Amino acid sequence: MSSSVSAAQDDNISSESKPAAAIDSDSSETNDEASSLLTPKQPPPEKPEDIRRRSYIVASFWFIVLFLGLPIWWKTTTIYRADLPLSQMMDWADGRACSPVFPIKIAIDAPNLQKEETDNLLRITQQALDSANDFKGHHLQLETSPLAGKRSTPDSDIALTIRLTPGDAATSSLHSQEPILEVTYPPNSIPASDAASSGFATYLAAQLRLAFSEERNVMSYLLAKSSMPFEQRPLETSQDSSDSLAKRMTRSLKYSQTYHLTFSLFTSGPSPSSWDIESAIDEYMQPILDLLGPIHNFTIDTQVQLYATPGVQSQVLSKEDLSSFINAAEWPLSPSIGGAPTVNFVVFIGNQTIGTASEIGTSQSWLIPQWGSVYLLPPSSTNHVPSEVLKQPVLTFASHLLSLLGTPQSGSLPMRLSTLTRIRSADVLLRASSSLGSLARLSLALPSISIPSSVADGVAKSMYHLQLACSNLGGTDGLEHARIADVEAERAFFEKSMVGQLYFPDEHKIAVYLPLLGPVGVPLVIGLLNQIKAWKAARAGKMKVA
Amino acid sequence: MRHFFSYLIPFSILFWTVALASDYYEQLILKPLPQSTVLASFNFRSNTTLSQFEARNFQYFPRSLGQILQHVGTRELHLRFSLGRWDAESWGARPWDGTKEGGTGVELWAWLEADSDEEASRKWLSLTNALSGLFCASLNFIDETRTTRPVMSFQPEGDHSNTTLANMQLLHGVLPREVVCTENLTPFLKLLPCKGKAGISTLLDGHKLFDASWQSMAIDIRPLCPEGQECVLQIEQTIDMVLDIERSKRPRDNPIPRPLPGHELKCNTSKPYHSSDTCFPTDYAEGQEWALDQVFGKTIKGACPLTDPEVPPVCIQVPHTRDIYITAGASEIKDANKPSRCYQVPLESDFSMILPHMSREGEHPKTDADEIVKPETPLLYAERSFTGHGYERGGVRTILTNPSPDTEVEFFYMESLPWFMKIYLHTLTAHVNGVAGSKNDIIEEIYYRPALDRVRGTQLELRMRIPPASTVFLTYDFEKSILRYTEYPPDANRGFDVAAAIITILPSTSPDAPLARQKTSNLRTTSLLLSLPTPDFSMPYNVIIFTSTVIALAFGGLYNILIRRFVGANEVVDSGVGGLKNKIIEAVAKLIGNSKGAKGKVD
Repeated sequence: MSSSVSAAQDDNISSESKPAAAIDSDSSETNDEASSLLTPKQPPPEKPEDIRRRSYIVASFWFIVLFLGLPIWWKTTTIYRADLPLSQMMDWADGRACSPVFPIKIAIDAPNLQKEETDNLLRITQQALDSANDFKGHHLQLETSPLAGKRSTPDSDIALTIRLTPGDAATSSLHSQEPILEVTYPPNSIPASDAASSGFATYLAAQLRLAFSEERNVMSYLLAKSSMPFEQRPLETSQDSSDSLAKRMTRSLKYSQTYHLTFSLFTSGPSPSSWDIESAIDEYMQPILDLLGPIHNFTIDTQVQLYATPGVQSQVLSKEDLSSFINAAEWPLSPSIGGAPTVNFVVFIGNQTIGTASEIGTSQSWLIPQWGSVYLLPPSSTNHVPSEVLKQPVLTFASHLLSLLGTPQSGSLPMRLSTLTRIRSADVLLRASSSLGSLARLSLALPSISIPSSVADGVAKSMYHLQLACSNLGGTDGLEHARIADVEAERAFFEKSMVGQLYFPDEHKIAVYLPLLGPVGVPLVIGLLNQIKAWKAARAGKMKVA
Repeated sequence: MRHFFSYLIPFSILFWTVALASDYYEQLILKPLPQSTVLASFNFRSNTTLSQFEARNFQYFPRSLGQILQHVGTRELHLRFSLGRWDAESWGARPWDGTKEGGTGVELWAWLEADSDEEASRKWLSLTNALSGLFCASLNFIDETRTTRPVMSFQPEGDHSNTTLANMQLLHGVLPREVVCTENLTPFLKLLPCKGKAGISTLLDGHKLFDASWQSMAIDIRPLCPEGQECVLQIEQTIDMVLDIERSKRPRDNPIPRPLPGHELKCNTSKPYHSSDTCFPTDYAEGQEWALDQVFGKTIKGACPLTDPEVPPVCIQVPHTRDIYITAGASEIKDANKPSRCYQVPLESDFSMILPHMSREGEHPKTDADEIVKPETPLLYAERSFTGHGYERGGVRTILTNPSPDTEVEFFYMESLPWFMKIYLHTLTAHVNGVAGSKNDIIEEIYYRPALDRVRGTQLELRMRIPPASTVFLTYDFEKSILRYTEYPPDANRGFDVAAAIITILPSTSPDAPLARQKTSNLRTTSLLLSLPTPDFSMPYNVIIFTSTVIALAFGGLYNILIRRFVGANEVVDSGVGGLKNKIIEAVAKLIGNSKGAKGKVD
């Protein structure tokens, strides 16, 4: 193959357009032909427009790759991540966005006192309360009773009414049915209008603090448990009381607006097969359910199950047996469908008893934390369980229901329930906040997780309701907002589509990209490098020439 | 809430009467069939009054199912789990006129209370999901593409008022691929008040039930309003199974069938070639002998005490001449009108029965007619199969035979086909006895809802009439679609199951028709296995590699031509690869030199 032919092929267009140069190079070739056998011939110098054209080609390829290929690749493979207000979410989780303060309104009902005297007492007692308040979550607010003198039911906002009556000495007692603190005051104990302090006011303040001490303990326990670094957090609670609080709080069910109550009669044999549960519930349980009405709704179903063998066969049940007594595999105690949690109340008819280790005699029922309770009844000869026999079990279930709901133990029932509202609000609020915090941390920790816009929606809704809940704390409104916030936060956290792309390993990406990008990328990169090298060489040559 | 309880007060006063009204019934009917098989039909029924049901007080009605029904507003529910094939040629008419069986796999149909189609679909989805959890079956795979809304084939069985009928929607779904097994039986037994611990349900055992030649489990829930009484909601649970006696009698410790040793073979000695080394096996039916505890592996552990003591729990349909021995304590009641007898089972003791061998020789030789009741001829025989070949098109042929010499049979034929099987309706033809008759004579009405890709399947309902003693060949062609890569199920090469065709035989309108013809009866063909073109499942990666290679080749060539400089062969400058080669050679030489130098130092 002759070299001149190949050179002509290469540059035939340019050689035609520039005949002078071509002839020039040809003539130089013929001169060197004799020496070509010993040393390789130098190729003719490239024309500058060839070099320019080549660099245009390389540049345009890179232009397409960088400005068309890369954006398309980026657009089609990027994971959608909705913008989350991460710092605000962390603020909620850390308790910076809201410090829960529960204003508790306390009315003073003093029919026998002048208005000025009452106002004065109120002012001094409020001062005493404020100065002694070491827990800022609680704010006890005194006011004169708007219904002074009337004996009608107090305003729902008012958590406690102090009824002042003259007496011989300063005594106080909580009313057993209504949220009323009965206080008697000795004569001359009402402070004068200019007095800065008074023994009776201090006594009143101490009594009030005592009345709300349990609630305060629960609240501070909840705050302490949450990750919120509250400056007002630690109260000097003893280890014992916080242990018992922890036990009580873990026992209670997760807050929900509706609970399903399932009453089941289990018998080990074929009888009894019917029971008067409706009338028993109506008589013994319904009053409590009605009182709980503002906080929770309840639906009730009942069932009878025969031939049920318990999980433990021994005659006397020890403490360890109680946890495995429920035969979960065989007993149809499936939770109700429809989202709301189920509370199970099981009456088991059989000749088993609970052995209490220390005392003589046996008890008949036990509570299963976050699940329900069991009551053992001895077998009877009849095929039907009448309502009277069910009285004790249903009453036990009612009290177990209260503790499963997390109701505090002291005080009159209305007071306990208003306390329950506040505790639940705080609980749900803290839980929603911590869910938001977890979501924020999750999205920071996993950069490859996708965040659909529904999650962002849920977060926004949740924060909106948290804000409302925080400003309305203490009432049922606040509870409702906190509940919605919690539901939204949970829904955002457990969004299914977030995890879909999470377990896509990087090896797969390599396997998909490498066959294409390898063979295409190598010529591109080498072409670019050569071009840069040539450009550098050309510049160096120019410098030399200069 | 308070409102709800104010309703309860009158109920609790009524409670005693209510407790009496809700009752429980169970019965086992055994029926020996030809070919050494026995049909066992278990039937369990519990009632609850509608008022008690709505107040959510469950006694014999299972709560787990009840709350699902309440949650989705189900008026009537039918659920079937079936396995195997009913051999109509030798076993005759189906038990319960075929109304308590489903196609192979799982079948579910329900009437839901819904104002619109969307609401019905939403409720249906939640119903299938809830039932799927309760029965451990993949019912949640009944999606829109497997759901049909039959127009003619199904009618509500319960009593519904006209107002509820107006907003009831029927939905029907089939899973022909589902394998019914023990995990479906366990929740089924849990629904029974006696829970398989007393009564006839003690016989039910997964090993025997799913080893049967044919079995069907059914749950029917329907409201019933007897005249002058309160309306009740009835749950009826039925299990039918055809057991092969020889197979069931095989002891547990020897489960693998092995050829019998020569001396145990039952030979037909009447054959001329019978000798010590040749044996023609005797007819199956000859000398059937079996016992209840042999066939089921256990005895009945006393009667369930919840049943009405007047109703005998076990019945057997054999001629009165058949000898039967029963355990002591039980009593026999013979039905004078029918070849049937029933047994009262004591409450606390076990019950079994033995049907001994009856000699065909001797003084009083017994015949087949003494041992088993001759099976009834079914109203219609149906079989369905695929025709054609290849991966593109196919055909379906259904052979429907009316065996009756004098009565014609009228029925609905319903097919719900998957969307990837696209039928050509114009090819639908019906021939009588192979002679091309006019289609209108046989097919009276067609309801056809074409498939939409990936949205819904084909629904085809035909109203047909077959003249006496004739056979109809119903054929149609279809095209097979190509599925998307992700739409193939695991083990796609096995094929795709096509649900059984459902045949609903209409009751005869003439007043002098026999009893069997006065009721609606059902029939299902077997399900079919459709093979679709299946791709090579490593295809996507192959495609990536292949296209990448082609693109890389084309691109590399083009790019090199564009940017390379072409020079003569004798003009090549020593650089590039050559330079690299030289560098390597230099490096190697240097290395060798170094090692030599080191050696020299040692020396």
